Amino acid sequence: MMADRRANNRAMFWRIIRRLFGANPGRLFVMLLALGAGAAVTAALLNLEVDAKRRLTSEFRAFGANLIAAPKSHGAYPAADTLLNQSLLRNLPSEFQGHSVISVPFLYMIAELSLADAGMQSSVPVVVSGTYLEELPQIFPTWDFQPSVIPAHKDKFVLPSHASALCLLGTKLASRFKLASFDDIELKNGTQKVTCKVADIITTGTDEDSQILIDLPAAQRLASLSSRIGLIQISVDGPPPTVQQFQSFLAQKFPDVDVRPIRQFTEGEAKIYNRISGLLTATVGIVLVLTGLCVMAAMTNVAMERKNDVGLMKAIGGSMRRVLRLFLAEAALLGLAGGMIGAAAGIFLSIGLGKAVFGVAARPRLIVYPVAVALTIIVAILSAYPLRRLASIRPASVFRGEA
Amino acid sequence: MFLRLVADSFGRRPRHKLLTGAALALGMGVVTAALSVSLDVGDRLAKEFRSLGANLIVTPQADSLPLEIGGVDYRPVNAGAYLPEADVPKLKTIFWHNNIVGFAPILEVSARLVSSPEELNAFQGGTAAQLIGTWASHPLLLNDGASFTTGIDKTNPWFQVEGRWFSPQVGRLKRINVSQGGNLGHIYAKNRDECVIGLNLAKRMNFRVGDQVYVNVSDLEKMQNYVPCSITGILSAGSGEDDAVLMPLSAVQQLANKPGQYRKLYVSALTKPEDVFAKRDPKSFTPAEYDRWFCTPYISSIAFQIQQELPGTDVRVIRRVAEGEGQILTRVRMLLWLVTGAALLAAALAVGASSAASVIERRTEIGLMKALGAGSGTVGFLLAAEQLLLAFVGGGAGYALGIILARLLGERIFGAAPEPSLIVFLVVIALATGVTLLGSAIPLRRASRYEPAPILRGE
Repeated sequence: MMADRRANNRAMFWRIIRRLFGANPGRLFVMLLALGAGAAVTAALLNLEVDAKRRLTSEFRAFGANLIAAPKSHGAYPAADTLLNQSLLRNLPSEFQGHSVISVPFLYMIAELSLADAGMQSSVPVVVSGTYLEELPQIFPTWDFQPSVIPAHKDKFVLPSHASALCLLGTKLASRFKLASFDDIELKNGTQKVTCKVADIITTGTDEDSQILIDLPAAQRLASLSSRIGLIQISVDGPPPTVQQFQSFLAQKFPDVDVRPIRQFTEGEAKIYNRISGLLTATVGIVLVLTGLCVMAAMTNVAMERKNDVGLMKAIGGSMRRVLRLFLAEAALLGLAGGMIGAAAGIFLSIGLGKAVFGVAARPRLIVYPVAVALTIIVAILSAYPLRRLASIRPASVFRGEA
Repeated sequence: MFLRLVADSFGRRPRHKLLTGAALALGMGVVTAALSVSLDVGDRLAKEFRSLGANLIVTPQADSLPLEIGGVDYRPVNAGAYLPEADVPKLKTIFWHNNIVGFAPILEVSARLVSSPEELNAFQGGTAAQLIGTWASHPLLLNDGASFTTGIDKTNPWFQVEGRWFSPQVGRLKRINVSQGGNLGHIYAKNRDECVIGLNLAKRMNFRVGDQVYVNVSDLEKMQNYVPCSITGILSAGSGEDDAVLMPLSAVQQLANKPGQYRKLYVSALTKPEDVFAKRDPKSFTPAEYDRWFCTPYISSIAFQIQQELPGTDVRVIRRVAEGEGQILTRVRMLLWLVTGAALLAAALAVGASSAASVIERRTEIGLMKALGAGSGTVGFLLAAEQLLLAFVGGGAGYALGIILARLLGERIFGAAPEPSLIVFLVVIALATGVTLLGSAIPLRRASRYEPAPILRGE
């Protein structure tokens, strides 16, 4: 008997809820719109915020290398035996805690560049730096590689079969000696001679503008230093603490190598990263709180219109608790529906936004979805809660249109 | 009568109107805060990016090829061209002089160091190191009477000095009071030069702050040329400077016998990220485009203006700093604009929904008015007037709220509040008006189709 009545009650409860929704489709739509918009923005911003911070650290790689590995006793002119062994390069990880690591070796020397000027043979001292040419565009993406006559295949230089080595010329050096891409140049160091083909002219704004960058094996041959390198430039992806961890990891793993941060960039990056992520968090926080409050105000406004319904229900004997439960359930259901639709829309929105900003679609984080839906339900319930103020309402005055 | 109706509507349902107004104000507050931050962030972040230091480098045009490794030039003193130090303050006379935040001329020579006069007398040759002459917190008096302090501490802000930088006044004659046999007199003595020494070099030679070091230019080596200087600081730079000695530019000029000259100049300038327009060759511009390019603080136009002001120089962009900054700034701005756009959308939808709901709920009232003979136009006009009033009040309050929030945000993050801008105010008021009118227009249109009778009967 009791169970029967409870079942009846429950059936009636849901019937009323259904009727509440069905009674005014325009109003239902408006409420869903407000809640859905809030949920969409919440989901989109939460998803984007997590993703943007991760992407931003990758953007910082535009600055190039942020760590340097050099021999410990580093003076003005490092002696041959204090140079690093090339095998060290193979032992450097290409990934650290899921962040990519690019390592490029450099071997510097001063060599003679032979110039054939109007039949006169002469030579000038130039700085020659041996490195992995094909990795330069990856580690220093802001260097300007002029359109090359040698086809660059996927950012890599392809060695033509007839040349012994490839080299890149700094723009200052190239313009001074009137050298252009595809020229052959000869470098001398004592009795060693190396000929290389100019693959490209580079503009960097730094020392490299007046250097010749050549394939590492050719430079080692020129310097008579086989399998030796002067230093390694390392570009580590990831937030500043990760870079620091990687540095101490390397310092521990290779105790006889001096691994130091390029302070100009590590410190600048850390400062800027903190500012940007603080700005992003604060802006997103303010937008979310205000949007939540705005949706709440709008919804409360709508909920207060239920005055007549509350009056009627009280008049036919509903207790305030029951009536309130009814309207809170309605609000929660609305929040659930609006949240589910809105949050789904928001996640798709953030994927699109991520693509627009970073060129890579933001990875949707599934945790964001339930969080956004839950927040929407909370906002919806909170916005219906002021109805409890109607407890003191006298049904008769509602019907007379007084209150 | 019309005004009375509007006033009555507000007076009769104050809480209702308050809530609609609150929704409006909050929504517009979001828009104002997000817009203010987005408009302001480019300039603020550009300043932050100056912690990366110089983004332009000035070298002599007729220079021989530098032999630079790791930022250190290995050319002898006699090779290559130099630039006059007297021209450097002209940097603050270019069109974008306010965007020049710092500059430092550099004269570097290879040098020998000895740590004591005994070692000097024994002439053991000392230690080889690079000697860098530059400015640090160097005061400049500009043509317009203003003073400007600049130096390597501005162009290389990541340099850390334990102790302090050398002071620029040192090296001048100084009056010293002496007393001899009861007679007070004074002599003029040359003040001792001050220098800052790189961390690695200090470690190798066991130098501490306050120690003396004797410096000489290796190419002009003569015993009597050794100049004493007292170490005022130990520099930690994380680059080649850790193995060098830094002295005031004037002192190095004297040592190297290059009075009033320097070899390269670092300039740190606030710039606008280069867009497609700025990447074009300035020679291909029409006069109007040229003016636009010249009057925008692109790094290329600042470089061009410096080159015009300092004849015989070659001004190059340090691409690693400038391009990296441009790329990141563009991304961050885009990100914030998208956040703003999302906030705008949500606020507009919520506010629109709120005003739509307030019209829907007033069907009975609309029916009554129509039954009393009001046309759809009059009813619409009345409701629109109410909504407009709300939009102005709510939008204004929202703008004030948003400005306060943007100030708090700006002060917390950048230590400086964004300027309240008139454009944001106009945008916010226009948006508030548009959204409320649009939100109420749709239910109004539907309401205008209703017959009054069924509504009044409550059907």
